[in-house]
Amino acid sequence: MTRLETLKKLESKLECFIDRVVASEVGRIEALRQIDTLDDIARDSLRGRHINTRLGRWLAENNRGFVNERFDRDHKSRIGALFNEIRSGLDSADFESRKLVDEIDSWRDKGIVPKRKLVLKIKPEIRVRNIATHFQEFMSKESEYIEAEFKRSPHLLSILDDVLKSADAKSDPMFLHLAGSIVYYLKINGYKIGPYVKRLKQIEQSRAEKVDAS
Amino acid sequence: MLPEPEKAYLKALVALQNKNYAAASGYFKIAENLVADNAEIRILAEATDTILAVHDEIAETENVTRN
Repeated sequence: MTRLETLKKLESKLECFIDRVVASEVGRIEALRQIDTLDDIARDSLRGRHINTRLGRWLAENNRGFVNERFDRDHKSRIGALFNEIRSGLDSADFESRKLVDEIDSWRDKGIVPKRKLVLKIKPEIRVRNIATHFQEFMSKESEYIEAEFKRSPHLLSILDDVLKSADAKSDPMFLHLAGSIVYYLKINGYKIGPYVKRLKQIEQSRAEKVDAS
Repeated sequence: MLPEPEKAYLKALVALQNKNYAAASGYFKIAENLVADNAEIRILAEATDTILAVHDEIAETENVTRN
């Protein structure tokens, strides 16, 4: 057998091996692909983008009837976590969004919930004592978010724009803090920050009004 | 949110489905943490790199034979 023939035989064996492994993973690939799509929807939701159509399509494609066939326990808990992210950004005043919230809730009733469920039974004084740890975790979460954003866009101003949109749409205080932090960083580096400060103040005011109303 | 390595692993599998071994190898490198921790994924990543090396060898051998 010539060297070329040996190499071609090796190529064919390797291709066959990879094909068989991938074929055995087809179900998992499809499940991961669906979770990846939902993850993209959740990321866009955090950036304040309109996601209702895509979310509606995802829910229809992954009809609850197929859930147990398509997703294992780990997948379901991931979907549950992503649903939590998405749900917090849906506008309950909007009819279409409310329908999606109801649909998400019905999935949760069927056991699509995040694995890590925090039961907060900590006494207030312990919480105060652990404020440094909370702050550290908070900064770490911000750092992870910023790292992911920089992979998408290297421009700090466009990231700030997205963060402000998220701060406006979400109740998570991280976005407000992160927006303030970026604005201050721009200020000490000589950037004009007037319009961003104005937006930030409007968001803060609107949040305060919502708290007062509730 | 899904960690980047997991998203990369999915893209690697999809690339393998399409027989795009070079793209798959790139995605496996992004998913290096998963590759290091999981023997099955490591075997798949190494098989992908090996097939790319075999392709190079075949091209080189065919080139030598032609000349």
